[in-house]
Amino acid sequence: MLKRLRTVTPLIKYLLIILLGLVLTMFIISFADYQTIYNNISRLFYQTNGFFDTGSRNIVTAIYLDYRLFDSLFEAGILLVAVTGIGWISQHDDEQENAHFMLDKYKTPELFITFSRLVYPIMLLFGLYIVLNGHNSPGGGFQGGAVIASALLILFYIDLKKSTNMKAILTIEKWLFISLIIISVISLFTRGELFTNFIPLDGNADLKSIYLIALNIIIGAKVALGLTAVFIAFLKEGR
Amino acid sequence: MPELALALQIFLIIVAVAIVLHKSKFTIIILISVFSLIAATLYMMNQAPDVAIAEVAINAAIIPLIYVISISRQREFIVLDRIRHGFIDPNEKLTGEVYEVLLAFTKKHNMKLNVCCDISGTEEVLTRDLNVDLIVDKLPDSEIYILKGRASNLLLARLKEGAKGMEHIRVETIEDGDAID
Repeated sequence: MLKRLRTVTPLIKYLLIILLGLVLTMFIISFADYQTIYNNISRLFYQTNGFFDTGSRNIVTAIYLDYRLFDSLFEAGILLVAVTGIGWISQHDDEQENAHFMLDKYKTPELFITFSRLVYPIMLLFGLYIVLNGHNSPGGGFQGGAVIASALLILFYIDLKKSTNMKAILTIEKWLFISLIIISVISLFTRGELFTNFIPLDGNADLKSIYLIALNIIIGAKVALGLTAVFIAFLKEGR
Repeated sequence: MPELALALQIFLIIVAVAIVLHKSKFTIIILISVFSLIAATLYMMNQAPDVAIAEVAINAAIIPLIYVISISRQREFIVLDRIRHGFIDPNEKLTGEVYEVLLAFTKKHNMKLNVCCDISGTEEVLTRDLNVDLIVDKLPDSEIYILKGRASNLLLARLKEGAKGMEHIRVETIEDGDAID
């Protein structure tokens, strides 16, 4: 077996070198074609049409919730798969009461608890603001969800005995993903196109933002719950 | 502000090298959040506020919190007491020969001793699924204490070496199959 490997490895080495050379030549070729690849046509298109097409002042939100919603759906799906995988690996069959004993002697510093009690509502409010205003100002579902998740994680530091139902979190996550797909498919009946805004293209920009806010809220809840579930899995694993 | 951006980039490289070279775990966690704060400032300067918010929320808040909780869990040495009297009584002060040996051992390895006595279950389940490091038992009608733990636990080998000269303490290992994790 070892001899065989030794004869094979030089071949793989040469193949790798040839592959790297190919990538390098492609990179150099792309630089020669700089003007056709790196132009500002798409930038000008988004600047002129972005707001009227999608109703979003934030062009990033316009792209990931309207022009390229297909990508965001797969991102949300990957997060769902990752969270369910971590939940499946870290499940314990023993009684929950048995796992309580470790926490009695672990104590968070008083300063941290007092400070986080002051900061917690502000963090939660800021996260909600980022989620709800994702189409007008920088931010969106993912960023706001991450801020809300870090606010929720601080709660676990204040009260380590806090019990949560991992299964319920995962079920909510699944239903949020399904509702995300359903909302993005409605456009098939109103516009005749898959994965865009369900309000017609010549509609009011303020009306269009309803769809953006709804999707941002769903993605924000999904990200916040998912990151909290990952943290709970880590917390339980150490016990 | 190209000068400020250049200074921040140099500082970013210095912090990255410090993360790799530093020995203390908790300092590394602080350095990681410093790194991501600098990176977020650079994103902000290059007009990408969306990315900056995500960077601050995830790399400067959530990942350090997860690291802190998992490292502080690893620093505990969990001992289960099966004797109930003589060695450890939760309502009274902790005394005894074995207790002092274990305390010295955990102090030497910079860990916290965590003693408990109110869990039930077979030895294999306790040591594999619940992270109990050591089970203390006593031979009937004698003064010999038996300390049991998983054979794959590295700390137990060190404890065995340390307790070689003592008459009242015997360290035993439970053979475990190939662990999945």
